[in-house]
Amino acid sequence: MNIGTRKILDRSFTAVGIGSIIVMALALMIVVVPIVYNGIGAVFFTGTVEHRKMLQAEFSRGDSQYLSSEVASSNRYRAKVYEMLTGFEAELETMAPEKKAEYQAKYSQVRTALQALLGPLPGDPEPMLTRFKYGQTRWEKAEEKLHDLLYESKWDNTNPDVMGKEYFVNRAIGFEGTSLSRLFPYINENLEKMLLPEFTLYWGFITDSSVDSHFFGGIWPEIQGTFFLAIGAMLFAFPLGVVAAVYFTEYARPGFLNSMLRSANSTLAGVPSIVFGMFGLAFFINTMKVSESKSVIAGALTLAIMILPTIIRASEEAILAVPKTYREASLSLGSTKWNTIATVILPAALPGILTGGVISLGRAAGETAPIIFTAAVSVGSAIGLADVFSSPTPALSWNIYNLASEHEAATQIRHVQYGMVLALVTIVLLLNLSAIVLRARISKKLKG
Amino acid sequence: MAEESVGERNRSNAFVVSARKRTLQKVAKTAGEGMLFSVAFLVAVIVLFIFYFVARDAIPFFQIRGFSEFFTSSNWYPADEPGEFGALAIIYGSLMVTLGSAMIAVPMGVAAAICLSDILPFSIRQYAKPVIEMLAAIPSVAFGFFALVVLAPLMQDHGGPLLMWAWWILVSPFLLLAVIVIADLLTANIKEEKRRQRRHWMLLIFLGLFSMILMFKVGFVLNGIQILTGTNALNVSLILSFMALPTIVSVSEDALQAVGRDIREGSYALGATRAETIIKTILPAASSGILAAVILGIMRALGETMVVWMASGNSSHIPQPWFNYLEAIRTLTATIAGDMGEADQVTGSARFHVLFAMGLLLLIISFISNLVSERIVVRQRKILSGQ
Repeated sequence: MNIGTRKILDRSFTAVGIGSIIVMALALMIVVVPIVYNGIGAVFFTGTVEHRKMLQAEFSRGDSQYLSSEVASSNRYRAKVYEMLTGFEAELETMAPEKKAEYQAKYSQVRTALQALLGPLPGDPEPMLTRFKYGQTRWEKAEEKLHDLLYESKWDNTNPDVMGKEYFVNRAIGFEGTSLSRLFPYINENLEKMLLPEFTLYWGFITDSSVDSHFFGGIWPEIQGTFFLAIGAMLFAFPLGVVAAVYFTEYARPGFLNSMLRSANSTLAGVPSIVFGMFGLAFFINTMKVSESKSVIAGALTLAIMILPTIIRASEEAILAVPKTYREASLSLGSTKWNTIATVILPAALPGILTGGVISLGRAAGETAPIIFTAAVSVGSAIGLADVFSSPTPALSWNIYNLASEHEAATQIRHVQYGMVLALVTIVLLLNLSAIVLRARISKKLKG
Repeated sequence: MAEESVGERNRSNAFVVSARKRTLQKVAKTAGEGMLFSVAFLVAVIVLFIFYFVARDAIPFFQIRGFSEFFTSSNWYPADEPGEFGALAIIYGSLMVTLGSAMIAVPMGVAAAICLSDILPFSIRQYAKPVIEMLAAIPSVAFGFFALVVLAPLMQDHGGPLLMWAWWILVSPFLLLAVIVIADLLTANIKEEKRRQRRHWMLLIFLGLFSMILMFKVGFVLNGIQILTGTNALNVSLILSFMALPTIVSVSEDALQAVGRDIREGSYALGATRAETIIKTILPAASSGILAAVILGIMRALGETMVVWMASGNSSHIPQPWFNYLEAIRTLTATIAGDMGEADQVTGSARFHVLFAMGLLLLIISFISNLVSERIVVRQRKILSGQ
């Protein structure tokens, strides 16, 4: 090969390496940016008067006087809509039967769309579920619902070779010549006056419990459950992990037993997380009966086993990183080995050990598979500290899965799901970031 | 022991320790060490317990249904009466996404590791490492949510164009490189400089045109593909590869760092470029460590639950044709997670035990690959220290 080609190859080799790091950073961005962007939307958004009605009724929050004046002004514009509806209903009665049947079907679609937009219409029975008591609480959702009201979505399946294509038909055309045709332009023009969108800062998303399976309200039970599980796991795993690390670094003599223990440790680190969940179910719940069925304590124990090897490894590294001179100085002053470990080595290694602990805490908070069978429940309120031995808890990680994949209206509450993901990612990344900062400071300090 | 005897001789010394106190100290020391040891031993006990308790609930399945159905049939109807428990398609799905993620993550991860250990200056490396750690720290359920809510609709709506652009962006630089190298290699033997140059240019133009046509043809074929479901094996493989990357990068970087400076400098001294040094000397020296990294990364992908559960489509069948990554699949982990709630625990049915059989399979695979990777690392350390 000639020199030029070799040079090109060398450069492109470098480019591939740098490129793959850039791709990794991009991947991180691509995953994190939509989560952050949409997740922030759960707290900061353009809320409608329906949102404020909901807050007043469910959490008795907000200025009730101001709200009633708002409701009055929005009702002024809504009244005209209701008027048109009653007018059209009267018109329906006068129509020929087959024509009436045709319009009736279309009209009931319009009513459903209006209910979704504005809440229950006059004459509707009081809805059973809270989610139907209010119209759209978020302006961007209201705009989607407005589109649903103005246009009927249909599927074009004429070509069997390709997937059906969605297209929209203007509903107003369907009501041409009736009194209802005025409704569509009216709503299109006056929706803002009916819903009164306003920039909203809803901190309650973090501190409230959910209303009607996360249609409204916040995610506090999940956040609290996550903290209970993660901290519970740390309470078990951290002391055990540090003690085991002290044994491995200070006392273990090379030999069969030691290498076996180390193998066991790395095996434990490699066990798939779902298997921990099965083990937690089979051992802690079905055999040890630490609780009747799922409970926080069973989940915390399972998570503790999962993070134990990480803590052991991190603590070992931290202890080994303590300079030899510390140890020698302490021993030369006449202190025993035990004393040296307790008063010199562990304090010096403590920041490093804490770093490992913080990272493990993040891992315990984010892991889902081990708690599916042992601790997680999809709906529920925040539990008290006394209940951790008997009752399961909702947790961020599990509820993200549950809301995104199993909730009956998963696509309608995307903002809640994004908010949860952002909360979880923030918790985990903040923990990791603090660990990174901590570690950078230690390495500076140990270098002197 | 020598210090003790000195202490015994100088009884008049101020540091006198009575015999009783010394025995007490000894007992305390032994007890303390014993306690430390028992805590360390707890890890081994936990591992044994995990094997025992998973196997205990897995064995009844094989007693009831035997081995052959589980491994050879792909009829998975656990809810029927009597149920069918053929897990072949599920095992295949697991292997498929694992292999798919490895195909993306291994080249990228090794390249990134090389870049981190040999190419980038130290100051940049300091910023790259936290990025990788962050990638490792993001909870799997967040990745799963991203796959399900962002990536899957994107694939379903714009699958063809996405594939086309991915092909063009990823493959065109490599194709260009291949053209240059092939043209160079084919003309290297021609002695006469002028003729060689002419040949070289002709080959470059010819191969360049050929590869252009290839690129566009394949790109347009990809553009025509319609992805019927966004929750498919490709989606999962992509996300799993991101999750396996941090492990692969950090472990292989350690392996590359373990190869000493002297080997690198020797290669440079012989006139090799950096790429040649890395490919011909450093990678072979670090190969076993990199293999261990790859095994660990693959295990992360195989054992991952949430992403595959949310974004693989959970359909238990072997794709047609077998390498079709655009079809929905189902994996072992997702089956365990999804079916445990419905499986009847109380009566101890085959439906419950089959999930533990799957868990046992995962456990055994992870155990073996862990042992293998550990052996490899130990051997590499020995070889490198011996040199």
